[in-house]
Formats: sequence, C-alpha cells, structure tokens
Amino acid sequence: MFQGIVKIVVQLIITAALAPLVSGIIKKLKARVQHRKGASVFQGYFDLLKLFKKDVVVSHNASWIFTATPYIYFVSILAASLFVPAIPQLFSFGFIGDAVLVVYLIAIGRFFMALSGMDTGSTFTGMGSSREMMISALIEPSMMLVLFTVGLNPLVGSLSFQAIYKGFAAPGWGFVSPSYLLLLISMLIIVIAETARIPVDDPSTHLELTMVHEAMLLEYSGRHLALMEISASIKQLLLITVICNVFIPFGSNAGVIQALGLYVLKVLVISGVIAVIEINSVKLRLFSVPNHAALAFILAVLGFMSSFVFGR
Amino acid sequence: MFKLEEILNILSMLILISAFILVANKRVNSYIKTFRLQSMLLAAAAGTLGIYHMAAERKFDSAIIMCLLIILLKVIFIPGMLNRICKRVEYKVEKDFFINIPISIIICCGLAILVWYVISLIPDIKGAYEIMFLTNSISLVMIGLFFMISRKKAIGQIIGFLVIENGMFMAALLTTFGMPMIVEIGIFFDVLAAVLIMGVFVFRINESFDSIDIDKLRNLRG
Repeated sequence: MFQGIVKIVVQLIITAALAPLVSGIIKKLKARVQHRKGASVFQGYFDLLKLFKKDVVVSHNASWIFTATPYIYFVSILAASLFVPAIPQLFSFGFIGDAVLVVYLIAIGRFFMALSGMDTGSTFTGMGSSREMMISALIEPSMMLVLFTVGLNPLVGSLSFQAIYKGFAAPGWGFVSPSYLLLLISMLIIVIAETARIPVDDPSTHLELTMVHEAMLLEYSGRHLALMEISASIKQLLLITVICNVFIPFGSNAGVIQALGLYVLKVLVISGVIAVIEINSVKLRLFSVPNHAALAFILAVLGFMSSFVFGR
Repeated sequence: MFKLEEILNILSMLILISAFILVANKRVNSYIKTFRLQSMLLAAAAGTLGIYHMAAERKFDSAIIMCLLIILLKVIFIPGMLNRICKRVEYKVEKDFFINIPISIIICCGLAILVWYVISLIPDIKGAYEIMFLTNSISLVMIGLFFMISRKKAIGQIIGFLVIENGMFMAALLTTFGMPMIVEIGIFFDVLAAVLIMGVFVFRINESFDSIDIDKLRNLRG
C-alpha cells in the first residue's frame, strides 16, 4: 500500500517536472536550426510560475464548464499518465484493458476543452473546438488500432500497459518486425497530430486563422491557462512515453536508476525527432489533415494485418 | 546479428510504406523525392543481399552491381531528369484527382489486402518470408498501377510506371535472389529508354497544349 503511494508520487513528480522541459527542448532545437538564439529550455517553468501568480478573468457569459474545464483536463491527463509510467518499476496499478482507458481519459479532457471553447460564445474558440473534434475523430481510431495490435502481439497477449511493457522488455531485437515498423510510423503521425505539432497545427501561433489547439485556449487566463498549458505538455510527454516504452524498449528492465536515465535519454531523442519533423515540414491546410490521418490509419491496419496474418 | 531474411523483410515493408506515402502526396516534387527514397531502399536491399552472399560464398555477387546500377539510374539520373522536366513545366501541385487522397489510400490498402489473400491461395509457396516478400512486391506493383490511373498529370503517370518497375524488380530480387545479370541490365535500359521518351513527350505535350493534363489530349491539332 505504502509502496504504491510512493510510486504514484514519484511518477507524478517525474511527469510534472519533465513535461515543460520537453516542450522547451523542442522549441530550443527549432530556434537553433533557424539561426535564432531561442528562449532557455526552462522558459516553460517560468511562464507557468508567472501565470499562476496572475489574476483569472472569466467572461460573464461563461458557465461552470468554463471554470471546471482546466481542472478536469489536468486531472484526467494526470490520471492517464499514471497508467503509463516512465519505467516498468513504477507501475502502481493497472488492469486488463487499461490501454483503452488511457485513450478515453485523454478524450475526456479533449471533450471538455472543446465544450469550454464553445461555452463563451467567442467565434475563434468555437472554430478551434470544431477543428479539434474533427482531427481527434480522424486520429483516435488509428491510435486504438495501434494499441490493440500491440496488445494482441504474441509477445504480450493482453491489453494492459503492464503486460505490454513486460512483453517488449525482453533483451535483444526480438521486437523488430514489419508490423512493428508500420505501427511505429503510424504512432509518430498520431503523436504529431495529438500534440498539435506543425504539419497539423502550429503550437507557436496565437492569432492566426489556422490555429486549432491555441484557439480553444484564447479565453483563458491566469492559473486556468497555466493548467491548460501544463496539461498539454503532460499529454505530449505521455504519448512520447508510450513510444519510448513500447517501441524502443531497451534497458527498461535494468536497475531503477539506469532505467530512468535511459528513459530521459529516449525522451530527448524522440523530442529531437519531433523537432526535426517540425522543422522540415510546413503547416498543412486543414482539409489536407485527413490525408495524413488516412495514412496513419492505413499503416495501422496493415500492421494489424501483418501481425495477424503472418504473425510477425 | 540479424538474419538476412529479417533485414530484407523490413526493407521490403519500408518500400511498401514509401509507396503509401507516395499515394498520400500531391506535390510533384514530393513525388520525385518519395520515388528517390524508394529507390534508395531498393538499392539498400540489393546491397544487403549482395554483401551477405559475398560473405557466405566468398565470391563476387552480381547483386552489388545491381545496387550500383539502381543508385546510378533510379536515385541520381531519373529523379534528376524528372526534376528538370518539372522545372520547365509550370504546374507544381496536382489539384483535381479522379479519386480524392484519403479514399485512394484506403483503396491501396484494399489492394494490398487483396494481394495478401491471393498470394496465400497459391499452394506452392512455403515459408512466411517468401509470402511476405511476394505480397509486398506485388502490392507495390498494384499501387503503382493505381497511382498511374488515379493521377491526371503526365509526371504522376511516369512515377507510377517507375513504381511498377520497382515492384517487379523487388519481386525478382527477393524471391529468386536476383535474375541473371544480363536480363536485369536489359530491363534497366528498357526503363531508361521509356523514361527518356516519356520525358520528351511531356515537353512536346506541354508545348503544343500549354498543359500536361491528359484530359486535354482529346482534341487534335495540326
């Protein structure tokens, strides 16, 4: 019991401490490539501190949904991150099918965010909400399919993250197979779409007609905005953690300290990959997003087929 | 460390993925880029095969020459030529498709599944690797065919033709570990000549119709 609580606390601390850093590192890398100096990698923490000190302004027209959303979003994402710990040793609880629960915990947060966007009646936020729902409707099936295929892999045989971690943690290269490759590429597209990165949405714009995620946050201020920002970066870290532990499972069954070090290294590498993708691509038109979503979905379907038909 | 079949399997899957990426594209320069990537992967497959065979049998293997020829022709020469054509022709983005992109990706997936089914019906193929190689390469041929009929512009159709050729080459390379040298070289020069002629045609069509949209090829001009 006591051990479980310690594990939960450690996991929460790792998540909350690392999440803004990952966003900061991606921003810094992008800035260096564009020959700018860029803000410090710790700028995310300073922004959050500043926002927590500021007053909250809430529109008169807003209902309780608007004030409740930041807390619901934050709590649901944090709860989801407990099911996907940084290293296998930090598992405190889990059950069969918790992979499905994680997807839908993320979806609850998104649902309330979209509601709050429509709540104040601002045209921009409403537009952001409808776009976000469109993108999520396109991306969610492929994410479910990827998790199902991973879970039904002969190495794993169960849809809980604990079994998935354990199944892939066997030493050696046994996990590399064609279906693994298809799922990995599909998962990269999913992560980019879910975390509002450049080919789908631009995270660094604040007043553009094309924005999606930022548009929904326009009406928020003060600690509400801080909560929304930190939840977005925790969601990003969560998805990166899924890639780290499921698709690059080296050394996750080593000692705790070693595994944590490797985890941080893997997170850094994946943020580098995301930054490179972001640097090398331009923002898509909104109506081109279905093309990429279709690609992600079809790669997941082929991975599923390949895993089942050939068992590889 | 790895078995040869394992590496070839993964490379063939990557080539199939590149075909799907090709179908998802709509800019002519990204067609060419993706085709170049696909040919590089094919060259890597031929190179791995050659190196493994050379290490096993301690004599020179013709797959190495194939690898060099692919790099020379399909990675450097043909994409470069297509880029030059692309610069002289004014359109850059393909706008009107017969079938829009998400649906054509789904159709390609359907084609791949159909190929898997058909290949699995052939009784004489033994071994999971052979089935996988064959399905991947025949799917590549089918996707190239589909790409050819779904794009209206001539450069898209040239790329589709080249993808079909890549698929055939991959099928020959992976299932029989390379056809006789002389046959391969013959096929290569066939493709080269075909692409050269098609390139010249694109120029001519562009000059006389002010467009390379194949829909406009209906009316005659003296």
